[in-house]
Amino acid sequence: MSSFRTAQENAHPQKKSMIMSTLIVVLLTNLLIQIWLLYTALNNALNSHKEVALSTFIASFILFLAGVIWLYLLPKNVK
Amino acid sequence: MSNEDKHWKKDFPVNRAQSNQVSRRDFAKLLAVVSGGMVAGNGLIAARAYLADDKTNYEKQGICTIQDIPVGGTKSFVMEGESIPYILIHTEEGEFYAYEQKCTHLSCAVYYKPGTKKIECPCHNGWFDVKTGEVLQGPPPRPLKKLIVSIENEEIFVQHPKQENV
Repeated sequence: MSSFRTAQENAHPQKKSMIMSTLIVVLLTNLLIQIWLLYTALNNALNSHKEVALSTFIASFILFLAGVIWLYLLPKNVK
Repeated sequence: MSNEDKHWKKDFPVNRAQSNQVSRRDFAKLLAVVSGGMVAGNGLIAARAYLADDKTNYEKQGICTIQDIPVGGTKSFVMEGESIPYILIHTEEGEFYAYEQKCTHLSCAVYYKPGTKKIECPCHNGWFDVKTGEVLQGPPPRPLKKLIVSIENEEIFVQHPKQENV
């Protein structure tokens, strides 16, 4: 590990922990938005506005990807 | 890989306290899986909206004659080849309207309340306009599905409206 990284760890030892907690908050927020998107898609599809179902699907997929990528890139030693 | 590094030992630890422990990373993984489930559900709705065959019969169907329904009265009916109940309403103004008899909130049966020009869902106090089917009050998220009503030689016919974006 470089001296820069060591200095960073010493200056802010809770950083990784904070990133993990932030990820959980972001994932929960994403989930709430996805529930709303699902509800909107269903209501509009039942009302014959099927284009809404496609756009909400794309938005929901982007939110899912954002969460998964963040989770994948997290340092492995953070519990 | 040494015996200590095997993944199953992490998933099934000997220590009970360790086996009950859910780390924040585990919780985040669970949230990501639920998020994936939401995407799958949304995808199913989109697939069904675009790919499902429209089996609706758009032909006119005779229901009854004008004399069969008194002013302010209603008649329940089912379209040929369907099981969804519909309601034909004879308003005090002498006009006829037909709607799906299922509330768009939780599918309770809706009823016309004579004299009010409103359709009522008694389950959760939802109200619809008898002329348009639009929601006036309550929890229903969408208007009632409306059928086209036509009268020929004193006989009442109904048919499904053509979908504009099919």
